Amino acid sequence: MNESAEPSSRQSKRDFLKYVLGGGLLAWITAVVYPILAYLKPPKQSEAKISSVKAGTLKDIPKDSGTIVRFGNKPAILIRTAQGKLRAFTATCTHLDCTVQYRKDMGLIWCACHNGKYDLNGRNIAGPPPRPLTALRVIVHGDDIFISNQP
Amino acid sequence: MNKPVHLLSALVFAGLLFAGSLRAADQCLICHTGQGDKPSALFRHDVHFLKGIPCSGCHGGNPNAAEVKQAMNPKEGFIGVPKGDNVSRMCAACHSDSARMRRLGSSLPTDQLESLQSSVHGRLSISGSERLARCTTCHGAHGIRRVKDPSSPVSPLNVVQTCAHCHSNAAFMRMYNPSLPVDQVEKYRTSVHGTRNAKGDVKVAECASCHGSHDIRSAKDVKSRVYPTNIPSTCSTCHGNAAYMVEYHIPTDQFEKFSKSVHGVALLQKGDLGAPACNSCHGNHGAAPPGIESVSKVCGSCHALNADLFSASPHKKVFDEAGLPECETCHGNHEIVAATDKLLGVTPEAVCSQCHSPEENPRGYAAARLMRQLTDSLQSSEKRAASLVSEAEQKGMEISEAKFKLRDARQARMQARTMVHAFDPKKFEEVADRGLGVAGVVQVEAQQSVDEYYFRRVGLLAATLIITTLAVSLYLLIRRIERKQRGLNHVGRRT
Amino acid sequence: MIPFWKRAYNWIDERVELEGLVHFLGKKYVPVHRHSLWYYFGGVSLFLFIIQVVTGILLLMYYKGSEELSFESIQFIMSKVQFGWLIRSIHSWTANLFILAAMIHMFSVFFEKAYRKPRELTWLTGMLMFFLALGFGFSGYLLPWNELSFFATKVGTDIAGVIPVIGKLVMPFLRGGDEVSGATLSRFFGFHVAVFPGIFAVFLGIHLLLVQRQGMSEPLGTAKEGGDEFMTMPFFPNFLLRDLLLWLIVLNLLAILAVFFPWELGRKADPFAPAPAGIKPEWYFLFVFQTLKYIPAKLWVVDGEVLGILLFGIAGLLLLLVPFWDRKSSRGEENRFITYLGIFIVLYIIGFTILGWVV
Repeated sequence: MNESAEPSSRQSKRDFLKYVLGGGLLAWITAVVYPILAYLKPPKQSEAKISSVKAGTLKDIPKDSGTIVRFGNKPAILIRTAQGKLRAFTATCTHLDCTVQYRKDMGLIWCACHNGKYDLNGRNIAGPPPRPLTALRVIVHGDDIFISNQP
Repeated sequence: MNKPVHLLSALVFAGLLFAGSLRAADQCLICHTGQGDKPSALFRHDVHFLKGIPCSGCHGGNPNAAEVKQAMNPKEGFIGVPKGDNVSRMCAACHSDSARMRRLGSSLPTDQLESLQSSVHGRLSISGSERLARCTTCHGAHGIRRVKDPSSPVSPLNVVQTCAHCHSNAAFMRMYNPSLPVDQVEKYRTSVHGTRNAKGDVKVAECASCHGSHDIRSAKDVKSRVYPTNIPSTCSTCHGNAAYMVEYHIPTDQFEKFSKSVHGVALLQKGDLGAPACNSCHGNHGAAPPGIESVSKVCGSCHALNADLFSASPHKKVFDEAGLPECETCHGNHEIVAATDKLLGVTPEAVCSQCHSPEENPRGYAAARLMRQLTDSLQSSEKRAASLVSEAEQKGMEISEAKFKLRDARQARMQARTMVHAFDPKKFEEVADRGLGVAGVVQVEAQQSVDEYYFRRVGLLAATLIITTLAVSLYLLIRRIERKQRGLNHVGRRT
Repeated sequence: MIPFWKRAYNWIDERVELEGLVHFLGKKYVPVHRHSLWYYFGGVSLFLFIIQVVTGILLLMYYKGSEELSFESIQFIMSKVQFGWLIRSIHSWTANLFILAAMIHMFSVFFEKAYRKPRELTWLTGMLMFFLALGFGFSGYLLPWNELSFFATKVGTDIAGVIPVIGKLVMPFLRGGDEVSGATLSRFFGFHVAVFPGIFAVFLGIHLLLVQRQGMSEPLGTAKEGGDEFMTMPFFPNFLLRDLLLWLIVLNLLAILAVFFPWELGRKADPFAPAPAGIKPEWYFLFVFQTLKYIPAKLWVVDGEVLGILLFGIAGLLLLLVPFWDRKSSRGEENRFITYLGIFIVLYIIGFTILGWVV
């Protein structure tokens, strides 16, 4: 059978199929390539932030200061005492769950919500907190400071 | 013989007979009184003597014998002066024997020695050979009176002196408990109880009323009547008894109210020792209600932030001048309930509207209204943010960071509630705005997450449509090719 | 006007002489019979493997393979990277589907006895690839460093340590120490992205080359074997297009799975926390795990676990070497024993997997 003698209907069907196939193929390629390209584009926060372990470097935290660090889903407070010792505790106040902070003027950990006070061993010494803060382990690797809740 | 001598000897004889007939069995007393012995003089007024118990009742021996050798014969049970704990044992020989006490016609309790031994005074003294206190330590030895007798050392009006004998002696107390204060009596005399007691009121509280008598335990002992969780009921023994308190014209519902309060629930139900008992606000030995101007200081000994803010606020001067007790005016004193947002604002149930209205004190009215509005919007904003986060979580989206930020919104709401006490709209707005900002950010992030969830499903639909189109057209292509091949006879036997 | 693709073809042909290749490819055919359906599973396995390579490379762009960061980096991919959720879920789902497809492919070849002469090497390379696929699964499973994977790895490497003689060397080698730690993670990462892919590629190359060279195996009792003739279809374009169509549908299936059944991340591994109750390995190891549970602790002098490992080891070895001990099939004869053995193995695996899931 001679291909060129095909009736025009079949020819147009063939063309239609070619268009659909071609279009579909193009759409499919786009549907595959677009997500891959979007994936490769760096997101705003450029990389996974270390959240549960590394709390900073020795250079970043001066003596007699404290800083709040995200420890998984909870806040942790890392303190460097005036003598240079590093201590870390959970920063959730045991009274009503506010986030505590280090107060240089008091030399204590203080909760802004209801004036709860903890000493630098995490013990509740004044105000409404009924329990001490949980101590976290501080590990120093070189210049890096890590906080761990493993004993 | 001459008549006066006869008379004298007759009288003496009669006197002796009389004395003898009265206490024919108590030769001890007769002899010892004759010798000018102080204890025996005291003993004449002793309640035991008046009940017919001779010296031998405690000392042993033969009260009928006039001869010393016979009377004070150990074989007759004479034990001399009992020393140390033997004193208490001697008392207990009758006083702990309920059958005997009933026979003697007494309805006194019989558990005194038992209680004493397990009390703090039942501990060993520094000599190590005897307990701290014996019965005679407080009750005396020979002139023992009934407790209610005004001359008894343990009567309500005298017991303070009796306790103070040791407890106000710093050198003495230092031997046993150096950290225990020795100024209780001094403080007590400044209190309502102390002043009334000094005036002769036997109904008010003295040492034994709160601490007990024989069963006194250290205040740190859980079983002590003055252990924090027990103090409200101890005070309420009198203060909750309307009949007892009728002449004092003060309310007697404090314990009832306190039990319902936040402090009461915390102390009595949850056992939180950080919560105040009666003495925390009223003092223990120097008990008195706090003065009008000092209420916020008393409350502020725990609620420091609120007190400081209040003292610096416009309300302090106004309240003091009006004679309104600071914190108590809005929060109550005994029945302090959890302060909800409803307390704030200009609605009828809010406490602010009691003084503030658009016509009267309008600045305060506007401030109250603003603070309530901000609190409400902060609450609803936080709620909305939390529910969006929850929705995203339910849909399986990763939302832990936004959830973490939500803590800050909650914290701002907490701090705003404290900031109310500054009664300063500007300061309040500052705190509230911080919270609203965070809640807003969280809402946006959570909404984005939820939108992303739907975007994925829509995207899948689109991709499926594309793939289906492609697949169908591919299938049609295959069919067409094979039809052509069959027409050209390509498929068939292997060549 | 010569169309572009024809010009490109000519350009290459002038340099590489494609004539022979094109002729060869044009002559390839695929038998068409009632078992033809199974022919597709090799291609599906290949497609899924390619998906794994592509999604794996993409994941490599953001994954960080250390104890502190791996969990968070996957959290990052799932939440912060655009379409990260899609790439990661596809990768996890495809891992399982790949092993499933490979199993089906392997068993269909087994039942058809297509491993017989001259295709022994094809079978060998295929089996080795299958073992590597299990290795891929085991090593990849640890990479998120979550609770489930930590303890599954602990149990799995414990079992490896039970192998007689070499077990005591193998376990520390796998773990990078005595315990499962960050060192284990590094090693598994290295295995998963470098060692296994490299070895797999070699075997895959040999496997595909052999298939091209030898063509598709025909079932026993056909013309070549002295039986009836049957239909065929050309590989190009018929079979290829059908293959592509199936691959397209599989791809859609993966997308649906990724959207409606996203792969879980769970909780970060805490080596000091106790193992969660009911810890069990992924489904493709479950039947081994469950079997070991049923073997008593001690059988005469032999440790129950050791016995179990040895049994599975021997079974695996026998399966690997089946082309060499199944003489009958090599001669072109029907071998019912193999069929029954195959049915037993399949039922055993399915049964014990279900048991492991339910119990």
